[in-house]
Amino acid sequence: MPNNTFRFIPFLFASVLAASPVFAAKSTLPPITGFTAGDMPYDSGSIALLAWDADAGGDTAAAVSPGTLYRVFVSSLETGGWIKAAEFPAGEKMSKNIELPFWAWKVQGNTHALKVELNNYFSGFKDGTVFYFKIAKVKGAAAIESEVVSSVTVSNWFRLDRLNNLILLIILIIVFFWAVFHARRKGLFIRRIAGLDAIDEAIGRATEMGKPIFYVPGIGSMSSISTIASAFILGEVSKKVAQYDSQIKVPHYDPIVMTVCKEVVKQSYMEAGRPDSYREDINQFVSADQFSYAASVDGMISREKPAACFYMGYFMAESLLLAEVGATSGAIQIAGTDVEHQLPFFFTACDYTLIGEELYAAGAYLSKEPMLLSALKVQDFGKLVVMVSVFFSMILVALGARFGWEGFVRGILHLFRNY
Amino acid sequence: MKLIKKQIPLAIVFITGVFTLVSYYVPNKTSIDYIETMNKWQNIVVAFAFLLGLVSLFFSHYHKIARKADGWGYSIFVFVGFLTIVISAYVSGGRQMTDAGLTPLGWSFKYIYNALSGTMFAVLAFYIVSTAYRSFRIKSLQAFVLFVAAFILILGKVPLGQIIWDLALGWTGAGVDQVIEWIMQVPAVAGKRGIMIGISIGAIVTSLKIIFGIEKQYMGKD
Repeated sequence: MPNNTFRFIPFLFASVLAASPVFAAKSTLPPITGFTAGDMPYDSGSIALLAWDADAGGDTAAAVSPGTLYRVFVSSLETGGWIKAAEFPAGEKMSKNIELPFWAWKVQGNTHALKVELNNYFSGFKDGTVFYFKIAKVKGAAAIESEVVSSVTVSNWFRLDRLNNLILLIILIIVFFWAVFHARRKGLFIRRIAGLDAIDEAIGRATEMGKPIFYVPGIGSMSSISTIASAFILGEVSKKVAQYDSQIKVPHYDPIVMTVCKEVVKQSYMEAGRPDSYREDINQFVSADQFSYAASVDGMISREKPAACFYMGYFMAESLLLAEVGATSGAIQIAGTDVEHQLPFFFTACDYTLIGEELYAAGAYLSKEPMLLSALKVQDFGKLVVMVSVFFSMILVALGARFGWEGFVRGILHLFRNY
Repeated sequence: MKLIKKQIPLAIVFITGVFTLVSYYVPNKTSIDYIETMNKWQNIVVAFAFLLGLVSLFFSHYHKIARKADGWGYSIFVFVGFLTIVISAYVSGGRQMTDAGLTPLGWSFKYIYNALSGTMFAVLAFYIVSTAYRSFRIKSLQAFVLFVAAFILILGKVPLGQIIWDLALGWTGAGVDQVIEWIMQVPAVAGKRGIMIGISIGAIVTSLKIIFGIEKQYMGKD
């Protein structure tokens, strides 16, 4: 026990010494100048931004004298209680290293800039709380401290760094409303999606064979876009099933999705004029555990040998477990998901696969409602904007790289980045 | 009736959707608190919905047993399994481990649940083989490209394949590792990014359709 205590004494001594003004006074290092503390812009008020002048020519770690370190201390009191927030070699944490785009951050030439996440050291503080900061520059035994500066952080109201994202969204919203208000009653060309055209064939086959159809909405929650899209498709599929007087079974992983799908299927049966054919057990909850769900649905498919299987929604590792069993049972299989790393499994095991955006477009494609179909134009417009901007930016970046226009290239790359 | 079944839900969707969208661009604490509150509400709804799921599960399996439908024997295991876990959880006080070791609940998880889940996951390996066999049947140009890419990847991942590559194509100066790296980093990533861009834009448009009430099939049409 005493040995352990003694072992820590040198560390305690060093820590006290590092934060001590007495220690700092005896030094030959150049002084720390231009030290300021302020609020970090575009955040929730939990980050302070410290800035100070770097040593002459010190914008790279190699340029400054090796072995020089900065230690940054923070406190809620002006006179003590210092907590070490960061330690790094001189030449690092420069103003240019702050990850903000050019329109939201002006890079200061030879200046250090450091973000201090106050939540890591203080909890439950409010806007307007004053925090104190100081820096120690250390090289070997020599050390020097800055003066103590204070800062108040505030909760900001706008993420200016996400302006590129917001502009794209505004453009899409404008085009969206234009497309919806100019929805044409007929004559809008929509390219054929083989997977959706095959739905009629699959349902017809099930009717002829007198076997059920399995519709698997995946393991996503109702907040997942692919699950919402899946509910739209289920509406159209179950309407056709009701018209053909065939059978459909929808096993569920999520109880909320089940509740929504019950309403959707019931509505479809009513629209098809077959409310009498609707049964409560069309939608049934199976399990909220991924592999239990896969095992249960696999068992149902193996026993009942459905004529058609639809896998539409969000899928993970169970995608292949389900699709392969369906393929073995001889069912027509149509899949659709926006999880790109599950798409290869569906491609190989299913007859038709809807890739990501086709899944979102499926509801409109099947319902043929003019307003929904017009909204598909917005998707195409968005892709056009991305393709054109990527093409021209690629050329500009290549030219910038060729002629050494670093700032220009960085600016272009900022435009395409999500902050 | 239309007000309750249609207009109020649409208004809730619109307001919630717009607030959530705006909160992405507003870093203020108010916005963070809003998102946290919504998450809490969602958790509460999920907890209640889980009860609905349980009722649905019991209802469908009870009817299978009552009607002696095909495979009704499997339905008995739903009730047996449920009761076993509930009783063992009650006896164990909800804990899986105590100082004395595994509780009955912990034992059920470790030696039944985990084993069964592991088995299901392991089955995936066999399915991948059968799927790979199916995809290697070259029926079109695309299937041929897929086959070539997959064949090179498989070749590069086994020592014998690397030896064969070096013997047959070593003179080209390109190692199989470099070819694999190029396939994974250039054509595969390009295709994936194309899909992801389409998915992102599709997600934005679908969200707008829901927020602005253009797409409302999820709540019926009355």
